Amino acid sequence: MKLDTSGLESFTPFHGGGNDLCGGFSSVPSFELPSSTNFDDFQKKAMQMVKPAKGTTTLAFIFKEGVMVAADSRASMGGYISSQSVKKIIEINPYMLGTMAGGAADCQFWHRNLGIKCRLHELANKRRISVTGASKLLANILYSYRGMGLSVGTMIAGWDETGPGLYYVDSEGGRLKGTRFSVGSGSPYAYGVLDNGYRYDMSIEEAAELARRSIYHATFRDGASGGVASVYYVGPDGWKKLSGDDVGELHYKYYPVVPSSVEQEMTEVATS
Amino acid sequence: MSIFEYNGSALVAMVGKNCFAIASDRRLGVQLQTIATDFQRIHKIHDKLYIGLSGLATDVQTLYQRLVFRHKLYQLREERDMKPETFASVVSAILYEKRFGPYLCQPVIAGLGDDDKPFICTMDSIGAKELAKDFVVAGTAAESLYGACESMYKPDMESDELFETVSQALLASVDRDCLSGWGGHVFVVTPTEVIEKTLKGRMD
Repeated sequence: MKLDTSGLESFTPFHGGGNDLCGGFSSVPSFELPSSTNFDDFQKKAMQMVKPAKGTTTLAFIFKEGVMVAADSRASMGGYISSQSVKKIIEINPYMLGTMAGGAADCQFWHRNLGIKCRLHELANKRRISVTGASKLLANILYSYRGMGLSVGTMIAGWDETGPGLYYVDSEGGRLKGTRFSVGSGSPYAYGVLDNGYRYDMSIEEAAELARRSIYHATFRDGASGGVASVYYVGPDGWKKLSGDDVGELHYKYYPVVPSSVEQEMTEVATS
Repeated sequence: MSIFEYNGSALVAMVGKNCFAIASDRRLGVQLQTIATDFQRIHKIHDKLYIGLSGLATDVQTLYQRLVFRHKLYQLREERDMKPETFASVVSAILYEKRFGPYLCQPVIAGLGDDDKPFICTMDSIGAKELAKDFVVAGTAAESLYGACESMYKPDMESDELFETVSQALLASVDRDCLSGWGGHVFVVTPTEVIEKTLKGRMD
């Protein structure tokens, strides 16, 4: 008797008979294409609409104690700051985090979808999914939507049986395993500070301070990053939020205002 | 992004009781990257006349140099300082000269005229004068500034209250703009003194 596995199927209206080959994973979730006279132009416009939204700074790195993940919290639409309090570190499950860069809706939706898939994997296989597996799931989904205007530049960070794991996944379909990543318009500035201060054997506090400082420097130089620098740590017991510091205040903490001597004398204004 | 948003700027001038305040942000950027946090946008023409220039930074500097030159010539010929109303007309004429290849700047002029009556005006990049009795704004954060000034402005404020109002309006508006901010620079000018202050703002 074939077991009723319809509950494991995702929300596709149709799925082919080749499911056995895919090992139980159903075909990719899809939705109907909008009807328009010029679909290519529509795609291009959709991409242009989302493109400026990669204004952000996120970073993650692996060190001796685990994975450190940090991000800013600004959302910008061109020149306008639409929010200074966006959650860019998404909690996929208690031991895996995803970062958001690019289109906010895209990142939020697909991370939640990934969380669903990870939970289903746990239920089906009676063990947690690895970071490798989770990032591959997301990468495959994003690859199938390649060219359709999704804008996602995310890092999947977690702790599984093999230890700490960190992957970079983007909407072009790229997936990279690594130990140090930074994504977003502020990433060059963050890389400068991160690469300079990185050592594998740092304590959790040192790593958190490095992550915080990197985000701060990126928010200083990049116009599209700012708000609050959140720092999360992923260890063997799962993730933990370490700090959320307002970047405006961090500046004056790192560079306190020194009262300077008066250089100009006060002169009398000529009254006529 | 348009060419006016290439460097980023925020400028506001407000009228008080026998005094005026003119304030700007301090950022110089190249699109999203911040290059400097001490760029001067407000310049003194004479003790009772200040001009702030927003827009493309190279045109800001060049236009300022041309205006200072014109004013110095005027001082030599007339043996007195230019009145703010006259200066505004000069700026308008200089900008319209370049009607088909304009300076990509929007000036904000603020001064004390006859009987120390405060005068403020702004212009678009080809010299259309816009006089106002209360406040004028310019720059990438202009729309936020309009909102902030409209709600915070009161007529006939004394110089310290005017300073507070202008500073709060400027800082609140640039905190909503990616391209301006990183501190503030305020001049409050009364018939007897000029108060120049630097504002501590969000550096993101």
